[in-house]
Amino acid sequence: MVDDDKQQHVPEAKRLTEADIAAAVEALRSKIDHRLAAYLNSCIRCGLCAESCHYYIATGNPEVQPALKVKLLQSVYRWHLTVTGKSLSSLTGAHRLDEAMVQRWIDCLFGSCTMCGRCTLNCTVGLDIPRLVRAGRSALVSLNLVPSELQSTVDTAVDTGNNMGITREEWLETARWIEEELQQEVGDPEARLPIDREDVRFLYTVNPREIKFFPLSLLATAKILHASGESWTFSSDYYDVTNYGLFSGDDSAAALISRRLHETMKRLRAGTLVLGECGHGYNANRWEAPEWLVITPEHGTRSIVQIIAGFLRQGRIKLDPARNPKRVTLHDPCNLVRLGGVIEDQRFILHRAVADFVEMYPNRERNFCCGGGGGQLSMTTYSKRRLEAGKVKAEQIARTGAKVVVTPCHNCIDQLSELNKEYKLGVEVRTLSEVVADALVPGTETSP
Amino acid sequence: MLLPTLLRAAVIAAFAYALVALVVLTARVLSYGRRPTYARPQGLARQGVAYAFFRGMLPWEKESVAGHLPTYAAGLLYHAGVFLSLLFLFLLVFRLQSGILLNQILRVSIPIGFAAGFGLLIKRLTSRKMKLISAPDDILANVIVDLFLATAYAATISAAFEPAFFVTAVVLFLYMPLGKIRHCVFFFYTRFVFGVFFGRRGVLPHPRRES
Repeated sequence: MVDDDKQQHVPEAKRLTEADIAAAVEALRSKIDHRLAAYLNSCIRCGLCAESCHYYIATGNPEVQPALKVKLLQSVYRWHLTVTGKSLSSLTGAHRLDEAMVQRWIDCLFGSCTMCGRCTLNCTVGLDIPRLVRAGRSALVSLNLVPSELQSTVDTAVDTGNNMGITREEWLETARWIEEELQQEVGDPEARLPIDREDVRFLYTVNPREIKFFPLSLLATAKILHASGESWTFSSDYYDVTNYGLFSGDDSAAALISRRLHETMKRLRAGTLVLGECGHGYNANRWEAPEWLVITPEHGTRSIVQIIAGFLRQGRIKLDPARNPKRVTLHDPCNLVRLGGVIEDQRFILHRAVADFVEMYPNRERNFCCGGGGGQLSMTTYSKRRLEAGKVKAEQIARTGAKVVVTPCHNCIDQLSELNKEYKLGVEVRTLSEVVADALVPGTETSP
Repeated sequence: MLLPTLLRAAVIAAFAYALVALVVLTARVLSYGRRPTYARPQGLARQGVAYAFFRGMLPWEKESVAGHLPTYAAGLLYHAGVFLSLLFLFLLVFRLQSGILLNQILRVSIPIGFAAGFGLLIKRLTSRKMKLISAPDDILANVIVDLFLATAYAATISAAFEPAFFVTAVVLFLYMPLGKIRHCVFFFYTRFVFGVFFGRRGVLPHPRRES
């Protein structure tokens, strides 16, 4: 598979000058801390990680195995950043960062990795391979060799405040429409979709795809928040939960995007940053943003999944599972679960929201990536590989016999929807909020 | 009488060199700096570390191991053979008695370790997947360790093989910091970091509740 589409899909590496190479090596070096340096000295190349990777399982192609990605990074690290690297290169496989190596990096690090971390869990030593891959991607950022579609997603977020370039007017108009729908659905003309309200408990962030393509998913969340009686708000300017700087490897862009949310929190004096259903948005904002911004935020940062589970535990919303009679299974987004630590709340919710919930196997932190992470969905260059790698997930879903697949991640929703068509799964793919909103028993709201 | 004494001294010198070189390598790794973590933890790092070194090493905790039990077993036996050979080397260099029971254990476990290591070498040389990720270092390191085990076993049978055992030990110690055998230090460090990462994030140890 990879060999076939390499020629047509891998972006052309430009001619590299010595200055380019020096800049890329410096970018790599700047990413290496004691942990990454230890990883680069630890890989024993046992190859056991291969069968944990959905790319390898789906294709059997050894070119996509995680250990090869580590080897490519290790070879450049040894050549440029170790004392004996060059002199022992024929022994250790140290290799200069040249155009051919850059081409391989682009293909392996961007083209066949979703940074899902499943290999880390299965690594004999425990190497954080997504972090190594991101360090390599960062070096490619310094060469302006991030695949153009992914770079464009980051640029749009930096330039406009959200990754889809939605204007403020468009957002406010959509919000007004959702508010009217909310009032009709809950039969309460006072129901509000608050924008820029100050001194609230929650600032709620969304995936811009919801505004553009899936407003009903936003309506579902609004219904839940309304039913809970919670004090919350959207922001009119910075509301984007996504941060594709996590995937491109661009720390400065990632920090800028995170800082905007952080400052919006301060401006609105909100207590908790509530992250919409987005796996990487959770990882980026909950775990990575404090490192990019070099601060421990004063506010809390939680996923809407945790918030909904809290509402249920406190009895602030009530659900009737009979309203969701079809068999439902759950896909665990890697960045929310394996790399984020939100593991049980979605299960707690589904057991109360649907009549027939079945797990897929393996699940939780061992779950397979859907294939859409790591920026793959934005890099249409690698669409064929992405869909092929998604076969593992498609088979997992098919084995459950479920009619509905729920996942608290819009990125995963997109990939699962494509897998649904590609592998003729015949399932509905829904967000957690949509399923919860359908099961809401009206008139149970209480004050916070 | 002079040759065995010289070889013993050479083993001690090579071991000291390996030790110093590994300390320098570790210092070099640490010199990249620790970055403080700013995100508030959700779980306990120490629980993650405990998981990383104990439960997390068990075959049923890792799908990669469960699916490759022969390789996992070979790895365990190989390393057991190496550690026992090092113990045997220590006893010989310092002219300590090993005792009948230990001798029996050495005579059984070292050849098993050798066979396991040789099996892993064959796997590396014949599998396309393994060849793609291997460097000459992977093969040379395995050959050196296999020779170390083979001569260790021979020395358990007859003292006539002790000089050969000492020579391979010197080669092993001299090679140790240059190639992948350095993982004897970094394995523990990386495993620790793995535990801290997943422990802080509240991912591991995670109770298995697959309903």
